[in-house]
Amino acid sequence: MTVAMSEAQLVDLVINWVRSNHRPGYSPNGEISADTDLIASGLLDSFGIIDLIVFIESQSGCQIDLTDVDPGEFCVVKGLCRITLRNRQN
Amino acid sequence: MSSGRETQSIKPPETIVPPLPRSEQLTRMESRWASSRPTLATATRTKYKGLIQGFLDSAERFVSREALVVDGKNLSYRELRDSAAAIARTILDREPESFPLAAILASRSETAYAGVLGILGAGKGYVPLNPKFPVDRTGKMLALSGSRVLVVGREAFGQLPRLLPEIDRSLTVILPDCGDAAELCAAFPQHRFVSSRQMSEGAGFAFDIEVDSAAVAYLLFTSGSTGEPKGVPIHHSNVRAYIEYISNRYEVNERDRFSQEFDMTFDLSVHDMFVCWERGACLFCVPEKSAMLPAKFIRDRELTMWFSVPSVVALLSKMRLLQPGCFPNLRFSLFCGEPLAAAHAQHWQEAAPNSIVENLYGPTETTIAISHYRWDPSKSPQECLNGIVPIGWMFAGQQCRVVDHERSEVSETGELCLAGSQVTDGYWNNREKTRRQFVRFPENRETLWYRTGDLVKRGENGCLYYLGRIDHQVKIRGYRVELQEIEVVLRKASQAEQVVAVPWPVVDGSADGVMAFVSGVSKIDELHILNRCREALPDYMVPRKIYWLEEIPLNDNGKMDRKKLAKLLEGA
Repeated sequence: MTVAMSEAQLVDLVINWVRSNHRPGYSPNGEISADTDLIASGLLDSFGIIDLIVFIESQSGCQIDLTDVDPGEFCVVKGLCRITLRNRQN
Repeated sequence: MSSGRETQSIKPPETIVPPLPRSEQLTRMESRWASSRPTLATATRTKYKGLIQGFLDSAERFVSREALVVDGKNLSYRELRDSAAAIARTILDREPESFPLAAILASRSETAYAGVLGILGAGKGYVPLNPKFPVDRTGKMLALSGSRVLVVGREAFGQLPRLLPEIDRSLTVILPDCGDAAELCAAFPQHRFVSSRQMSEGAGFAFDIEVDSAAVAYLLFTSGSTGEPKGVPIHHSNVRAYIEYISNRYEVNERDRFSQEFDMTFDLSVHDMFVCWERGACLFCVPEKSAMLPAKFIRDRELTMWFSVPSVVALLSKMRLLQPGCFPNLRFSLFCGEPLAAAHAQHWQEAAPNSIVENLYGPTETTIAISHYRWDPSKSPQECLNGIVPIGWMFAGQQCRVVDHERSEVSETGELCLAGSQVTDGYWNNREKTRRQFVRFPENRETLWYRTGDLVKRGENGCLYYLGRIDHQVKIRGYRVELQEIEVVLRKASQAEQVVAVPWPVVDGSADGVMAFVSGVSKIDELHILNRCREALPDYMVPRKIYWLEEIPLNDNGKMDRKKLAKLLEGA
């Protein structure tokens, strides 16, 4: 990820990762969006979410601090991307 | 219903049939109630009430203290008691002479907890069902249990249209979260539905029940090697022995704040609820999403008692959420369900410096847990075997023996057998399995022993170390799984001659998931097979991937070589 990466670009990055790493049997058929709840939709389980966060960290080079984050926020594609961008700015 | 909860109606198919007029309902129910059971407020304390006794005592002592925080609501002991009373009275009014068990299909909601208490309050044992499980499996469990009463929470309404046609016998379905069940009545005339408006009044119900200590308090289902879930009945005497021992050991008091992280289909949830309520403490239901990374929840709710599977430590650790001193309020941290890595115990100890950290061990058949090991940072690292915390010593009064394959006692390594007041006496309607696992030894025919199938080593000081299984049972994220049960479904779905399920990946002796291999068919449709698996198996048992092999490798004994398959996965 470049420093200039926008929220929209980050959302694309996340969606692409989810498309190739989602749980078997949950066929997303292209309908994953920025508002998709990755846990409620069944696309990822808790281990999958952690793998996704690790992936985002490796791409962005920054650590995502979840200490005070509401789990309802980081389970949604858009929320997770915003948390990442917040961490980068800090 | 007295608790005045928000209700909703369920909208499955067909036409609306008006329910019986409320006045008539009440008259009928009240007259039946009056003729069969006095609505006394004079509960005699000498009657044995089993598992629910501690809750009832606390509800008298701590009327307005908080008993439960769930789903954005805080319920006092009185409110939870009233909510449970309405369910209990409804069960007694509607099914006065029925079967000794009743099922509850609900999760992480007021109805889930009130339902468990209500069933026990009606003098019956409860059968927890999981709205996250496939309908097929829930239907099997419901059928095998024989329950004629089913309490359903709002979170499971979506399952009813698929579940109800599967059940042959006529059910009484109690719906505390549904104001109007007319459409369900019309769609499923073989069953009887009781909406919240038709439920009996909870206020004034005295819980004047008496149960036999040998009666079933709860019936849980575990994975069975034949492909059918296996019922484990736990009697009131078994679970009372556990609760009294643990409440004393951890000096539980009314200021404690308990986590409730486990699904109710996992017996460790019984500890959360009933050890907590035994002494007037407050239970905090961990919301589904917080359960994977509960650090913020533990801090925000200022929990004093934590209980989970060790996998939670691994996830928090990976996300750097276990900072030294981050859980200052915890008094006790308990881990159970799978091997606890020494590194994780130490990491948690540093995050919760004021907490005692304990590793608990116990199969469902021996009631929640039956041995413990207390972590001591100064000496425990040297006492661990292969980096895994020992399972320690038996609870006072419970017995163990380590035997070889001829069931002769051995001094060091062998199968662990357990006996004592916490150990149940067999499986639910399964004589053959009971005969195989519950045994008597020649030198003392009176004592019934449960063969755990767990391979252990006994240290010189009597400390027990878990080494693995003697069969194909594995733990996946703390859930007990018979690999053969997965293979039965795989075989049916793939039409393959040979199928093998392999736990994978395994870290620190604990599996995160399952991979599958199939052979003997020309091609496979992975998505189709996985979909069939998802229809029949709970999430944690569904293979993550299916590999096709020309031949399944065999070991020297001509058996399928699971170790070699695991090696293949390492290289994949």
